[in-house]
Amino acid sequence: MATKPGGDKITRNIVIGMVAFVVAIGAIFSYTSSKSTNGVAIPSIVSKAEGYGVVFNGDLKGVPTVDLWEDFQCPICGEFETLNGAYMQSLISQKKAKVVFHLLSFLGPESIQAANAAACAADEDKFLAFHAYLYAHQSKTENSGLWSAAGLLEAGKGAGLTSQAFTSCVKDSKYGDWVNNVAADGGAKNVNQTPTVFVNGTEINRNTDYFNAAAFKKVIEG
Amino acid sequence: MKKYFPWFGLLARLILGGVLITAGYLKAFNPSKAKMAVRAYEVLPIALANILGVLLPWVELGVGFLLILGVATRFTARFTALLMFVFIIAIGQAWARGLSIDCGCFGGGGQVDPSQTKYLPEIGRDIAFILISYFLIRYPTSRFALEKEDQ
Repeated sequence: MATKPGGDKITRNIVIGMVAFVVAIGAIFSYTSSKSTNGVAIPSIVSKAEGYGVVFNGDLKGVPTVDLWEDFQCPICGEFETLNGAYMQSLISQKKAKVVFHLLSFLGPESIQAANAAACAADEDKFLAFHAYLYAHQSKTENSGLWSAAGLLEAGKGAGLTSQAFTSCVKDSKYGDWVNNVAADGGAKNVNQTPTVFVNGTEINRNTDYFNAAAFKKVIEG
Repeated sequence: MKKYFPWFGLLARLILGGVLITAGYLKAFNPSKAKMAVRAYEVLPIALANILGVLLPWVELGVGFLLILGVATRFTARFTALLMFVFIIAIGQAWARGLSIDCGCFGGGGQVDPSQTKYLPEIGRDIAFILISYFLIRYPTSRFALEKEDQ
């Protein structure tokens, strides 16, 4: 069937070359776009040194540090918030711990938009209220349209965010690159699941400490 | 029977190519999740796992397209078999060590509840793909291949 000797070889090499080219471009694009970039816009409450987390009580000394990695679309994070959310807020308000929120976005575009909107809320000192509101109104399905820009603006109203600054921050995805940096940092710290909690830099026990309010309190306060 | 082999070859190319393209496509555009899926196997150092998580979906896409087009069929079939073999080892070690992860083969991945692991079906599926690859390695000449004669 080989009509022209060598003809197929040329086709073969051209096709292999083209596919390899597209694959290389895609992989490089994917790699650079998921890498952490310097100099991205961050809200003032975010600390690069804390893995781009949203930091509360950052200046307290002699208290435990609680790091929470979460995704606004993750249902188990919703359960975690229901059980421990108020306690986490009390740790912050009573200055009992330094608390760092890391907003991951494994679950797709609406996780990214929700994390961006939470950073916008932080600009107006309403991060915690917005955080609580998002979990209280979670969608049953991922990327359902609930946390589209319009939905997040509605959610903002629910948490008392109505300013023009908040609106444009959400619509323009002002902190989109920051969300990417948070994800890259979570990757570097081997966070493979949400929610994940570190107390003083070590993960708490997955089997016993996450969904038992008393155990969770004990692991933080000793 | 043998005269139908090129048709079987076509079918094999479409199955393997389709599977690889689907698997690659579902992961290529969520790199942070793809990285997490590789990390969850707890085999490679974190930095290396993160690089592999980004690369692997694109390699799958590329090999998948070559299979569909029918170019360098024997080589791509060998590569697919090798890839599936590596997947089986990776899943097998996770199972043996008592990790509870999703293979992350078609997106997803990472730790899951121990009751939700599917190690046996995942390995079985990969063995089936190896058998299909093996057919293509033996009989790489197939219908509607861009490259008429594979060496």
